[in-house]
Amino acid sequence: MPKVKINDTEIEVPAGTNMIEAAKLAGVEIPHYCYHPHLSVAGNCRMCMCESVTPRGSVLEIACNMQAREGLAIRTDTDQVKAVRKSVMEFLLVNHPLDCPICDQSGECRLQDYYMDHGQYDSRGLEPKVSKHKRQDIGDHIVLDAERCVQCSRCERFGDEVTGTGDLRLMNRGDHTEIGMFPGTRLEHDYQGNLADICPVGALTSKDFRFERRVWYLRETAGLCTGCATGCNIQVCHQDGEVFRYLPRRNDDVNKSWICDPGRDLHKRVGSLERILRARVDGSPCTTAQAELATRIRAAGNRVGFVLGTQASLEANWALIQLARGNCPEARFFWVSGNDGDAIEKSDHLLMDIDKNANTAGVQLLAEWVGNVGDTDALREADLALLIVLEDDIVSRLNGGALPELAYFGSRENATSAQASLVIPVTHPAEMDATYVNRQGRVQRNRRATNPLGEAAPAYAALEKLGTALGKAPGTGLPVATFLSLARAVPRLAGLDYKVLGNTGRLLAPPVAEAK
Amino acid sequence: MDFPRILTGNWEVPDVHRIAVARTRGTYSRLPKALGMAPSEITALVKDSGLRGRGGAGFPTGVKWGFVPPAEKRGGKAVYLLCNADESEPGTFKDRYLMWCDPHLLIEGMIIASRALDCHLGYIYIRGEFRYIARRLDEALAEAYAAGLLGKNIQGSGHHFDLYVHVGAGAYICGEETALISSLEGERGQPKLKPPFPAVEGAWRSPTIVNNVETLAVVPWLIENGAAAYKAIGTEKSPGTKLFSVSGHVRRPGVYEVPLGIPMTQFIEEQCGGLLPGRTLKAVIPGGSSVPVMTPDEVAKCSMDYESISQNAGSYLGSGGFIVMDDTTDLVEALTNLLRFYAHESCGQCTPCREGCGWMYQILCRVRDGDANVQDLATLRDLADNIHSKTICFFGASAAMPVQSFLTKFRSEFLDRVQGRGAGAA
Amino acid sequence: MSHSAPNAVSRGPREWSAEQNAEIVAILARYPTKKAAIMPVLWMAQDAWEWIDLDIMRLIARTLDLPPSHVHAVASFYTMFKKAPTHRYHIQICHTLSCALVGAEKIVAHIERRLECDEHGNSKDGLFTLLRVECLASCGSAPMAQINEHFYERLTPEVVDQVIDALRAGTKLQEPRPEADQWIFPVS
Repeated sequence: MPKVKINDTEIEVPAGTNMIEAAKLAGVEIPHYCYHPHLSVAGNCRMCMCESVTPRGSVLEIACNMQAREGLAIRTDTDQVKAVRKSVMEFLLVNHPLDCPICDQSGECRLQDYYMDHGQYDSRGLEPKVSKHKRQDIGDHIVLDAERCVQCSRCERFGDEVTGTGDLRLMNRGDHTEIGMFPGTRLEHDYQGNLADICPVGALTSKDFRFERRVWYLRETAGLCTGCATGCNIQVCHQDGEVFRYLPRRNDDVNKSWICDPGRDLHKRVGSLERILRARVDGSPCTTAQAELATRIRAAGNRVGFVLGTQASLEANWALIQLARGNCPEARFFWVSGNDGDAIEKSDHLLMDIDKNANTAGVQLLAEWVGNVGDTDALREADLALLIVLEDDIVSRLNGGALPELAYFGSRENATSAQASLVIPVTHPAEMDATYVNRQGRVQRNRRATNPLGEAAPAYAALEKLGTALGKAPGTGLPVATFLSLARAVPRLAGLDYKVLGNTGRLLAPPVAEAK
Repeated sequence: MDFPRILTGNWEVPDVHRIAVARTRGTYSRLPKALGMAPSEITALVKDSGLRGRGGAGFPTGVKWGFVPPAEKRGGKAVYLLCNADESEPGTFKDRYLMWCDPHLLIEGMIIASRALDCHLGYIYIRGEFRYIARRLDEALAEAYAAGLLGKNIQGSGHHFDLYVHVGAGAYICGEETALISSLEGERGQPKLKPPFPAVEGAWRSPTIVNNVETLAVVPWLIENGAAAYKAIGTEKSPGTKLFSVSGHVRRPGVYEVPLGIPMTQFIEEQCGGLLPGRTLKAVIPGGSSVPVMTPDEVAKCSMDYESISQNAGSYLGSGGFIVMDDTTDLVEALTNLLRFYAHESCGQCTPCREGCGWMYQILCRVRDGDANVQDLATLRDLADNIHSKTICFFGASAAMPVQSFLTKFRSEFLDRVQGRGAGAA
Repeated sequence: MSHSAPNAVSRGPREWSAEQNAEIVAILARYPTKKAAIMPVLWMAQDAWEWIDLDIMRLIARTLDLPPSHVHAVASFYTMFKKAPTHRYHIQICHTLSCALVGAEKIVAHIERRLECDEHGNSKDGLFTLLRVECLASCGSAPMAQINEHFYERLTPEVVDQVIDALRAGTKLQEPRPEADQWIFPVS
């Protein structure tokens, strides 16, 4: 790997690494607007100018158009570089409206941030500002204010290179250059929210989040979108137990820097009215539901079945398996494939998978390990008195047909919760630590952002409680320990723990037969 | 002055835009020789001649051609030859006459260049305001096709070359070679980042050579007469003749072909017929509106070649757009006029130029109208410095250099204005 | 007061004629990509329909497999593609330095007065639209104007009057070319 030098730091990076990224690895932040790691290089903002040091002297060049090669040396800390940054800020702001107090980007605006870091000049902009179109409703999720735009063309490139819709375009020229849509058209794709994310200023803002909360109040927790099998990495943005938005979290191997709009909207499920917040037995709230469930499991004897949850985490499924094995040795396991009744069944070749379950691959992995897990047909034919269901809405999935008595561990109301005689509330993923396996076979970690609502507990903890009532607890009260025991037992998870999974996850080891 | 009229020799011949007449003047007679030469021989000849790009940058043409990767390193990619006929640098109008009067000379030059570059498809990118010339070029191309001088297997040489006219639609920036390429590709005419340079990755990501009309029109003469004959004209580093477009306050504005290196004063007196009666020289812009302005003292020291103008006046020969301003000129007004042009023509792609050109123009309007102070002049100078060489293409410098040079060389005229006295008042 | 040009709203959906379709086929044959045909096709459309409205942009987008926004972006970049109608004679007068040095402003003022132009440059008689433009590469024969495609050079108020009278009388415009095949212009 070539060695490059950034200021006084020498580091090795893969050949061709963009110098903005290389500098980041060396601990040097190079300010930029138009550069984005997952879009082509445009080089138009000029904010990333640095001095390229050559034997013939140093030359001002933009870092984003430099690729790492042996001996490349740049400086980002010279007076000349500082002067360029200051002047670029001055140029960017000379026609920028002074509407920070009413701009929703405030607090996460690169004009604000970089002005403080690199601008700080005395204003000499006496001329009238160029006016452009403000507050344009350009899509179901996005509002455009062209006056705030810095013409970085990120959104244009996103439309060309990611969604292929080519909808946003820079029009006109000179200082009248203005970003916009073809008159009478609207954004038609399912990735609109990303436009607000990549817009470095307040030109493109999210309708959903606009004016909901100033961003400096929000805390961010690294979570996972559980809307489908893709397992996009997200930041859960929350304050005081309330979740305000999901943002994509960069994972080059999964979702790059993007998430889909249906997934982004799922933050609304955390505090939604559909949440199951209390346990109930035979339709009535019940504070002793777990004990009642234990009684009914015992009464069912050999005729009890357990349905693994493709929407539930690895830990929850492991808890279910351990609970069943410890207390009902004759019990049978099932797995009902398909999507829940309330799933938004959109899919594409980008991020939206047709499988709307976050952990199908995880269930498959555990089913292989358990062996003899019955499918939908087996479930229909089985002679059962009681079926314990983990999160999946199996009533919708089976679409009719007789079922035994149901006990449902779920987070939101659906056809299964309506039919179940016992309902135990479990947490939304934003409220627990857990892991999921996505469609690539990548084991990824989701962190707890907020406290569980109502009586909800993580499913693994709820099952631990049930096990205690049954006489043999599965030992799954804590997620870290649960995952460790899982990783020790299941060969394809060998060597993994929460720390190893880190923020970007790890691929499952190949099945043993293939490994050889 | 005795020198061969390499470029204007046919201009007075009636109907020389018709191929039959053009052929009587020797046009296309250099083709058999050129098509018999190895491509590398042609490039070497052009390199040896010292011919420099006549569009403005003055880069050696043969060296530029040499940047095209050899066939085995092109991965099957085509090579494109583009003729830059976007002529839009204020003060420049030579190519318009060349294409109008003698289109076949340009076509012959392009066929020879295509041979040198192993190129089989070329375009003449002509500015939209010249559509009537584009029609004449189209007619000339049709004649050349009919005569077997374009298309497949030209004159039995095995070389084929297709050539089309592509008409622009009003954008100065498309004269910048990468913007020209963007425009040809069907994009907004915005310059591209360099590297990669067009000779390696240009139009449709293939090696592309962009040459000015005048540059290409010299090539047939080089084939016929050789590099040494060309080098014998002009100066050592600026060989050959050059077309100058003369405008402004002289008695005979127009297009002149002269050997490079003649004294500028002589050029003004003899070719341009001198100043109008009773006037004195105030300033000259020697190479199109983008180059730094010159004072009369500098004019007296300079000759008409690349080196002399840059060494003695810190300016450039550029496109040869020679704008003469006499003592009746209000230089504040003149600079304001130029900045209006740059503000109007900035493509709007990169920050300093997009925001800076309009800003400079607005300040200059205030200076012109007596609403500015000394601090505004300092801001103006600062803005120009902050644009120059901070942009994607050379446009930024083109807008900055007039400001920098006018403010430096004619400072008192600007100071007078900000102190509330107009140019004529003193 | 505004002497407005013909109505600037959309003129309804368009389709290419058979001749235009044949022309498009010929244009496409000249380029390696469809996208590159955008400027020639815009010119073709403007020649046929005088100015480029949104329906024409949609038609071109469909024809060349481009997003309509791209056609809009390209059309808006180039000043010669008209996004609004002009009157029959479009007088584009150069006001850049070389023309300005020899009296372009006087010519502009004369035309404005003579044609009684409104703030948009539209003449009272509904025949002319006057527009100031940047350098048209006719600096040696300044001041100059381009009327439709035709260059009129070395303008004086008298020449302007003659041209306007001739155009009003319906005289055909002269063949456009650099003045009299002459490239040196002695000042008398």
